[in-house]
Amino acid sequence: MHKRIILPMLMGTLVLGACGGKQAPQVDPAAEQARLEEEARLQREAEERRRAEEEARRRAEEEAARRRAEEEAARAREILAEMVFFDFDRSDIRADAAEVLTRKISVLRANPDVTIRIEGHADERGSDEYNLALGMRRAQAVKDFLVGYGISENRIETFSFGEDRPLDRASTEEAWATNRRAEFVITAGEVTKVR
Amino acid sequence: MRRILLFFLLVWATPLIAQEPDTSRLPTGVRLGLLYPTLSRPVLAVRPFGASGGLEDVAARATEIVRRDLDYSDRFEMFTVPPQFESGPVDYDAWNGLGVVFLLTGDVEPAAGDSAFLRLVLHDVVYGNVKQVRAFTIPAPTSPDFRMAVHAASDEVVRWATGQPGMAASRIVFVRRVPGGGAELMMVDSDGENVQRIASTETSIYSPTWAPDGRRIVYSIADPDGGWYLEERDLETGRVRTLAGEGMNLTPAYSPDGRRLAFAIWSGQSHDLYDYDIVQGCCRRQLRRGPGEDISPTYSPDGRQIAFMSDRLGQPHIYVMSADGGEATLLSPYTYGEPGYYTSPDWSPTGSLVAFHGRSRGGHPQIMVADASRPGDTVRQLTEEGSSEDPSWAPDGRHLVFVGVRGGRQGLYVMDAVSGRTRPLVLGGRLRLPDWSPTLYSASAHSVRGE
Repeated sequence: MHKRIILPMLMGTLVLGACGGKQAPQVDPAAEQARLEEEARLQREAEERRRAEEEARRRAEEEAARRRAEEEAARAREILAEMVFFDFDRSDIRADAAEVLTRKISVLRANPDVTIRIEGHADERGSDEYNLALGMRRAQAVKDFLVGYGISENRIETFSFGEDRPLDRASTEEAWATNRRAEFVITAGEVTKVR
Repeated sequence: MRRILLFFLLVWATPLIAQEPDTSRLPTGVRLGLLYPTLSRPVLAVRPFGASGGLEDVAARATEIVRRDLDYSDRFEMFTVPPQFESGPVDYDAWNGLGVVFLLTGDVEPAAGDSAFLRLVLHDVVYGNVKQVRAFTIPAPTSPDFRMAVHAASDEVVRWATGQPGMAASRIVFVRRVPGGGAELMMVDSDGENVQRIASTETSIYSPTWAPDGRRIVYSIADPDGGWYLEERDLETGRVRTLAGEGMNLTPAYSPDGRRLAFAIWSGQSHDLYDYDIVQGCCRRQLRRGPGEDISPTYSPDGRQIAFMSDRLGQPHIYVMSADGGEATLLSPYTYGEPGYYTSPDWSPTGSLVAFHGRSRGGHPQIMVADASRPGDTVRQLTEEGSSEDPSWAPDGRHLVFVGVRGGRQGLYVMDAVSGRTRPLVLGGRLRLPDWSPTLYSASAHSVRGE
């Protein structure tokens, strides 16, 4: 009994299906293929875009990191290069000088391969020879300060220019105060970190 | 009414107050004044020297050099010879009438080879006779020794007239800084002629100092690696040798017998004075211990004492001690609470006077002289114009070369500590640290004086 009903029902379904209208759309293999490929293509493009964005993001982060590192290195070099100043005829480290030197100590600790030379200067007053000696005492006073905080002596050279290299050639109190100084030169190693 | 009077009084008085001289700012213990009250100087005339054998040019040059040397000796009042007196027999009465005390005549005649005899006659016009005659052998003017040989003759003439030799046959060594870096070691004759460069460096040179034999100079020179070493240079051969090589060595000075060298060495905290046997090349001794900077030693003429600068009082001052070291006596004026600054001593080659420069705060440096045999006595300030530093005595013990500014012009100047007369030696803005040689050519020896 069932075979005689099922078969015609199946036939009927097929016929109904083939007639369209209220029936489900027929799947075209070629179109399906194209659709799938299109989807895949879109996915790939999205994937590439994502990767490109990630790449760009990574590069931007690297760039930013590099810039930060450069800025830090520049800042550290700036700290190392900053001069300190002295009172007339004296080689004591003043309070303002001590502040500057303390910053330098951090930089020197953070960059253990760096070595420096401290160059002492004097203003034009007084005798040429005494000023040469005074420049040396100033350089030594700065060195002693740094060594006192644990920086190795071997990393620091000292030299005196006496009154020979003024920053300001005028004969005024301001100019003289500028000339009574110690300058710092990096003699070896690369400065990268501030602390 | 009273207020008006007061007003006029102030207005009238103000210009007087404004004219107050700088001497009011002399440090305590210093007075302004030259070494001796001005003595009247004998009037001297130099007649143009005659010539034979085609040596008119030599005679003319020699006349010019001798005239200037006698003028620069500052011991005579120079008299310009009127044209009608330039030649012919010497008429003592006529010269006497002109007020001349000494008359110098001379002539030049050929000698062996290229050299000539310069015969000089010093006439004592007052007594109406010849005081001295002598023939000096001089090389041709093309020879580098020509000027010095004539200077030696002038120095003898000064000795004939005054009993003390002149200082014309000498030279001054100094340093010239090169714009942009570097330094040159320079030399000039005592009359400002013949400026020569002896050596140059890309680094720096300080404190050139003559050896007593006049043949060598020692100086402190900077090493590119950071030290300062003492180099001795033979001026005749050009050869150099290092006398002190390690560390920072400054301000060398030879003892008068040439056997020892005193100088300052950096100890790691300050500079200390040492001396060293140059002849044997050994035996360095520390002359003084203690805190503070000790630099710029200078020997007394008998070699027994050293004057030097020390800042152990907290300010730079001049001290005297035995040449073997030990305790030191203060020579520059010190008043508690009054800031002083006294440096760069140079001991006179003829006596106990030590020249140095000093100032009170706010003033310009000026040349001062103290008597090392009377420490604590008032010190004399010799200059008051412009600024004056780093004095060095001439071999006659009365002239000084120094670095100065006069009339706004910087350079090396020579002054006579007796009359105060000052003349420019070499003008220029970057000249420093002059040192005056001993007498280099002595006519009594006809050659360079040896030790």
